[in-house]
Amino acid sequence: MDSIIKVENLEKSYKKNRALDGISFDVHAGEILCLLGPNGAGKSTTINILTTALKGEKGNVFFKGRNINQIAKTYKQNLGIVPQELALYEELSAERNVEFFAALYGVRGRELRVKVNEALKFVGLWDRKKDRAKTFSGGMKRRLNIACAIAHNPKIIILDEPTVGIDPQSRNHILKSIKELRENGATIIYTTHYMEEVEEISTRIIIIDHGKIIAEGTKESLKEKLAEEKQYIIEADGTDRLEKEDLYKIAGVKNVDLEGNRIRISVIKGIDNLDKIISILIGKKIKINNVTNEEASLETVFLKLTGRTLRN
Amino acid sequence: MRQFFIILKMDLLNLAKSFVLVQYNTLFPIALILILGFLCQGDYGGGGVSSYDYYGVTMLLFTVLNVSVSSANSFMEKSIKSSNLRIVFSPVRTSFIYISKIVATFLFTSLCYIAVIIFCNLVLGVNFGGTAIGCVILLILLLDLMSSAMGVLFCCLFKSEEGASQLLSMMNNIFGVLGGLFFQIDGFGKTVSIISYISPAKWVLEGIMRVIYDNDLSFVLPISVIFLVLTAVFAFGCRLTFRTEDYV
Repeated sequence: MDSIIKVENLEKSYKKNRALDGISFDVHAGEILCLLGPNGAGKSTTINILTTALKGEKGNVFFKGRNINQIAKTYKQNLGIVPQELALYEELSAERNVEFFAALYGVRGRELRVKVNEALKFVGLWDRKKDRAKTFSGGMKRRLNIACAIAHNPKIIILDEPTVGIDPQSRNHILKSIKELRENGATIIYTTHYMEEVEEISTRIIIIDHGKIIAEGTKESLKEKLAEEKQYIIEADGTDRLEKEDLYKIAGVKNVDLEGNRIRISVIKGIDNLDKIISILIGKKIKINNVTNEEASLETVFLKLTGRTLRN
Repeated sequence: MRQFFIILKMDLLNLAKSFVLVQYNTLFPIALILILGFLCQGDYGGGGVSSYDYYGVTMLLFTVLNVSVSSANSFMEKSIKSSNLRIVFSPVRTSFIYISKIVATFLFTSLCYIAVIIFCNLVLGVNFGGTAIGCVILLILLLDLMSSAMGVLFCCLFKSEEGASQLLSMMNNIFGVLGGLFFQIDGFGKTVSIISYISPAKWVLEGIMRVIYDNDLSFVLPISVIFLVLTAVFAFGCRLTFRTEDYV
């Protein structure tokens, strides 16, 4: 796949805190690249450098093979940025907001009116275009925030947690819109705290922690590569009679957690040992109520890689 | 340049839509002139200068000094600041952001003060120099321009509207007192009189009073040049201190 953006060895520190520690990656044309990482991992710093609002101390960013600092205007012309914070004029109508921001990209006259209408229709706000932004719900403002970023038809759209604090209906609308933007030819760079969003829209994922890329790939390849284990979750009565050491003696058992009436056992994939686990439980006169098998999810992949949950 | 005018138009619109700023730059000076003019009626009158004549000029200058607070507000008020972020992202010169705020505040407040001058002259009979009113307006507007630039510079330095506004308000009050805008301070001795010249309000008040009552225009050009130079220095300071990093 063609690389539209190439990031090479980005480094950035805030006083003693090293926010980015030599990050390098490519953004391929037409993909939805999700940047994942806990708070303070370096996602926003990366995004801010990509938008040119922030300067890295070392490293380069190339757009179609040329350093963005040398072609800043052309590069910015191709970007559409949806900042995490709502960047709208609340006293103005939705239409006036989109019109203003599109005009900054040189769109004018009849073309401006057409593109403003298209953007508002796209985010489902066309029928409210004359209303002031301050009268909108949180979800509608988020959608308007997106409309302001896409009216000039950018090739690359960067969305920094665009669904924070909104209702499920607006979230679904936004996720559907993002997939549609990709189908229309845009390249998307997306950061979020919501793993289910990544599962739904990403074509590739980069996991960042402590300013470094710790994993990269499609969601399937990440799960495949990193999830060598599976988990049995056993609900049972009388778990107080169980000694963890009894289960650790079974081949393939990596970890045992006792959570009240629930036993969570991590085992190496490919080793059939459920019968032995059950035998031990029966031998201890523990009554088994339910057994479930949990395959790796992105959440568990993330947890394993970073040792933290995404919202830590 | 087209983009500059697009941003300028938006900044003007935002200022005009701010009820607080419209009120502060029109009704507030009129209220001050009316109150102080009425309360101090007995202290003036000799030599044909009424309390309304004196406070008509001084209170106008005091609110013009405080234009720096309006420009700080127009630049980094919370909702405006986040919208400025999009301008940072767009392919326009970053200098357009702060220059536009200076120009927009200047244009908006100029209109407000010209309206106040017309009202005070026609309704309250405040003397603005008769045929020399153009020179008086010129000095007031140049002070306005300098204040606009100063407010934006303070925002660039302090990175927030709150910090900038607090310091500017304090400075403006000190300049106001030293400039003799509330009461004459020349009577406090020679030292105080010399110190008072650090206040731009003092220079402009002196220049305006000379124009109105002595028909002496000798201060107009030097004061105009000083204000223009200071404006240029403040704008250059914005260029040196404005960092897009402060927005993200």
